[in-house]
Amino acid sequence: MPSHLEIINARKAFRTPEGGRLIALDGISLRLATAEFVTLLGPSGCGKTTLLRTISGFETLDDGDVVIDGIAMTQTPAHRRPVNTVFQRYALFDHMNVARNVGYALEIAGRDKREIRTRVGEMLELVGLTGMEKRSISQLSGGQQQRVALARALAGKPKLLLLDEPLSALDKNLRQKMQHELKTIQRELGIGFVFVTHDQEEALTMSDRIAVLAHGQIQQVEPPSVLYQRPANLFTADFLGESNLLRATLDGSQARLSDGQTFDAPRAAGEATLLLRPESLGFAVPEGPKLSFTGRIRETYYSGKDHQIELETLAFGTIRAVIRANGTVPEIGREVTLHASATGLHLIDEVAP
Amino acid sequence: MLRRLLTVYGLMFFVFVYAPIFLMVVYSFNANTLNMMIWSGFTLDWYRQIFGFETSITDSTTYVDSSAQLYAAIRTSLTVAFSTSILSTVFGTALALAVARYRFRLAGIYRTLLMVPMIMPDIVLGIALLIFFISIGMNLSIMTIIIGQSTFLISYVFVTVSARLAEFDTSVEEASADLGATPAQTFRKVTLPGIAPGILGGWLLAFIISMDDLVITYFIAGTGNTTLPIHIWGMLRRGIKPEINAIATLMLLFTLVIAGVGLYLRSRRQK
Repeated sequence: MPSHLEIINARKAFRTPEGGRLIALDGISLRLATAEFVTLLGPSGCGKTTLLRTISGFETLDDGDVVIDGIAMTQTPAHRRPVNTVFQRYALFDHMNVARNVGYALEIAGRDKREIRTRVGEMLELVGLTGMEKRSISQLSGGQQQRVALARALAGKPKLLLLDEPLSALDKNLRQKMQHELKTIQRELGIGFVFVTHDQEEALTMSDRIAVLAHGQIQQVEPPSVLYQRPANLFTADFLGESNLLRATLDGSQARLSDGQTFDAPRAAGEATLLLRPESLGFAVPEGPKLSFTGRIRETYYSGKDHQIELETLAFGTIRAVIRANGTVPEIGREVTLHASATGLHLIDEVAP
Repeated sequence: MLRRLLTVYGLMFFVFVYAPIFLMVVYSFNANTLNMMIWSGFTLDWYRQIFGFETSITDSTTYVDSSAQLYAAIRTSLTVAFSTSILSTVFGTALALAVARYRFRLAGIYRTLLMVPMIMPDIVLGIALLIFFISIGMNLSIMTIIIGQSTFLISYVFVTVSARLAEFDTSVEEASADLGATPAQTFRKVTLPGIAPGILGGWLLAFIISMDDLVITYFIAGTGNTTLPIHIWGMLRRGIKPEINAIATLMLLFTLVIAGVGLYLRSRRQK
């Protein structure tokens, strides 16, 4: 598959008001295939927005290259790059009506009025705002403004769409609806999306691949399920979803937890961390090799479809588990044993602090 | 008790500020030609006189030099006000954009220097300008009035436009560039409409101040270039004449109309 966007060893540092240097991008390389939905995920200040702005051309790199469809864009100003952006707070032109906002890129390109009108109509249909051409921006709700921003960015048929936390201002229900719509639109149009968010659920739901960023570096780039089940390091394991991180000592064929339980781990001797997701633990005893944790239930949280349990153990402190809610509500203070299958466990080559 | 005192204080404040203006308007309709402090009946003669119509006031009792002189003064004032306000709007807006958008050395000092003409005493500014024009060998004319007034009206436009720029979200400019607009297109289609209320406000402010300025203009006008305030000042020096009330009332009306138009346009923009 041809590479659509390529970021090569991007570096960028900012001068802080105090006179220091803040490294926003510390040697980032990333390739995006045609029509791929890649999410840049990370905590605030990790460099994800800076990276997006170097693709759109609003920031210049200190070093490295941005290549779009085989053409180096490093010297190209923002208005000549074949990418469009959906901005975090939409940045709509509030002195223009919906139609002129959506048709702006075409108006700038000097297309004729009929063509613009047709394209605007198509775009509004795509985002579900048919017939709203004449509305002014201030008459729209937050969700509708979001859709106009999306239609405006797509109207000029960009090769690549950049989205900077576009859903962060919407309430939860609307956000989920828009997540699904965005994914559908991306698949229908067949263009690449680079989506920036700090919301891990959003990233898992929508992406073909997720790039986890921290401290100006890419920690890992993988499809959501791989990233969730086999995180490469402690940061990714911790940032993406809930996790129990247990220290393990390896002897070459077996791994031993601090309470003496062992499981098969045919890899080099040393120290490592075992990742146990809360949903892999349960009351039922699995067949074959298993790990067991006995302790007192300290707290339970009910979320409708499941119970989250905090189990206080002697050897590992708090262990988190998620049990499907099917009638039996665990009592706080009771001593219980949770089990997990000991096959296919994931070890991280880092030691938990 | 305190509440009542505050109410009385507030009322007195408005009486103090507006009573003279109110009296002026009332006197402009007073038929008494000898003592305008005494009401003798309603008349529009003072207005008719200004506009050059025949009036019942005989020549011996009128003080107006001639309507022609008054018109010439109004024409000069309007010419000056239009030229100065446009000139200072262009320069003041450009300066505000430069100071808001670019980081350069001594930007803070530059900003302060741009504010100084507003707090400078008029007399000082007038003398300084006069000396400057004489020393570069420029004859005093309508040109010197326009240049001289612009030097301080630029400050007013600068402040008004800067305030608008401060609350202008620059991300729409990025959006425009992102959608393919060149910097010039972005300025014309996005930035300018966005700060238009500030520019319009600055222009109207400059226009009104220019129409109204006496002290500085008096220094740099030279002979033969009488603006409306200078003309009125000249009339006053030969005694207070009833048609001055009428002229001032018309100026007040003119100013209110301009300010009203400004406010209306502004409220429409913000909707």
